[in-house]
Amino acid sequence: MDGKGKTTAPYNRGMNDEAYKVTVAKDLEDLIPAFMRNRNKELETLKVALAAADFEQLRQLGHRMKGVGNSYGFAHVSVLGQGIEDGARSGNRASLESHIAQYGDYLSKVQIAFE
Amino acid sequence: MRILIIDDDVDLRNLLERYIRQQWPESQVDQYDPLDHDIPGASFALGSYDVVILDYMLGRGDGLQWLQEFKRRADCPPILFLTGAGNEIIAVRAMKAGADDYQRKQELTRERLITSVRDLTASTSERTLSPELAARMEGQSLGARMQIPGIKVLHLIGEGGMSRVYLASREGDDEPLVVKILRSEVMSDRNALARFMEEYALVERIQSRHVARIYTHGASEGHAYLVMEFFEGGDLNKRLGGKALPAEEAVRLFRDLMFALGDIHEKGILHRDLKPQNLMFRTDGSLAVVDFGIAKHIDAADRTGHGEILGTPRYMSPEQVQGRALDLRTDIYSAGVLLFQMLTGRHLFDGATAVEVALHHLNTPPPALPEPLARYQRLLDKLVEKDRDARFRNADEVIGFLSRLYFQAAAATAADKTQKLLH
Repeated sequence: MDGKGKTTAPYNRGMNDEAYKVTVAKDLEDLIPAFMRNRNKELETLKVALAAADFEQLRQLGHRMKGVGNSYGFAHVSVLGQGIEDGARSGNRASLESHIAQYGDYLSKVQIAFE
Repeated sequence: MRILIIDDDVDLRNLLERYIRQQWPESQVDQYDPLDHDIPGASFALGSYDVVILDYMLGRGDGLQWLQEFKRRADCPPILFLTGAGNEIIAVRAMKAGADDYQRKQELTRERLITSVRDLTASTSERTLSPELAARMEGQSLGARMQIPGIKVLHLIGEGGMSRVYLASREGDDEPLVVKILRSEVMSDRNALARFMEEYALVERIQSRHVARIYTHGASEGHAYLVMEFFEGGDLNKRLGGKALPAEEAVRLFRDLMFALGDIHEKGILHRDLKPQNLMFRTDGSLAVVDFGIAKHIDAADRTGHGEILGTPRYMSPEQVQGRALDLRTDIYSAGVLLFQMLTGRHLFDGATAVEVALHHLNTPPPALPEPLARYQRLLDKLVEKDRDARFRNADEVIGFLSRLYFQAAAATAADKTQKLLH
């Protein structure tokens, strides 16, 4: 994966190596490069929205992550999406920063296996 | 077949299109990005599609409004409405607005999508030909016929060996609820039915935050039903996903289960069928036990045949396997089996058949926990003792044991810190 936004921030201390492993159906393999590109674009958009304190956009992006993550087998994307959606709803900047940092960390480390 | 997918996420549109094309290679799938286009106008050939898959949150638009607009058109095809988890009230509104089916995005698998599209596009003759489809149609039809005061039954969302499960809403505030309707096979056993009604009358009186709230029960159209709270967080099976939980989380959930059992046993009720599918989560993460008493009356293992055959035997106590009289220690044993699964991500016993698994409960010593979980071994051993006289006697004893375990761990941590400060 392209490693954008790579961070060693302490936010994901609770995640062991297993948490970064994702298994995707073999017949979806060709969809994954675009999926990952879009997730990394999404990460950049999240950062810009956070800098602009655009909570409505953050909420929408979080909601979208929540919907699409599990569908592809990336449960953690959905979990983080939920956190971003909740953080945007409550205007909790610290929570948003933490979740977005976790997202960057996750995208930089995720390991995908196709079965 | 022509299908239109309206969603603001290109990856989700691509995924749904892939699933549909794999199932129906000749199908034509069109994607519609609501971020690029407003709601299709009157000139848009909506009627040329066999199904429209419509998302709730469309970025710039509101899927519910789009649904209402579509449904005003004479050429509107069946609509499969997608909602995010935690949006059951939206699902309720969508069904009331005329959606023909709904799916929670987070649970939308290939199989669920295909089943839904197939149901929405099946002709009458196909429904007659496919027993599976006919059964689902019959389930939908039964739900529509049920007359429950103050409750509107909306949509079949699950089928089990004993009952069909429906999304419903409370009239007035659209609060999402679940209606369970007993299957006719169960209804034909008068004694079982009487016991079911009696037990749920008891459960309705349990005031515990760790037990599913039963709002009412009764009979309509010759079918017994009960109305209970809807759990947006899904069940333990989903939470586990075939993996272990962090030990602290597993023990916390187990402690909640013990609180639930304490409240249930206090009313003289045994659950008898504790398993991951019967432990549900609310949005706030709290746990609640569902499905009381049915297992006593019905042998689910003989009925399901949908891969659930080991569901009950996996969590059965030795005395259940032997068909002996049960007391509350049977639930303690099953809870222990669940704790093992939460801690390790594995079943206590596996086997090729239900009988093999059941016999393990009778004869095979439980496997030891992995070394990092060794501190829970004594707890587990006393939960899954084959001799129930050697088991914890009740939930209070277990909670007491857990408290001592916690304080011992806290004391050890404090002593460790003191040692480090001294050196």
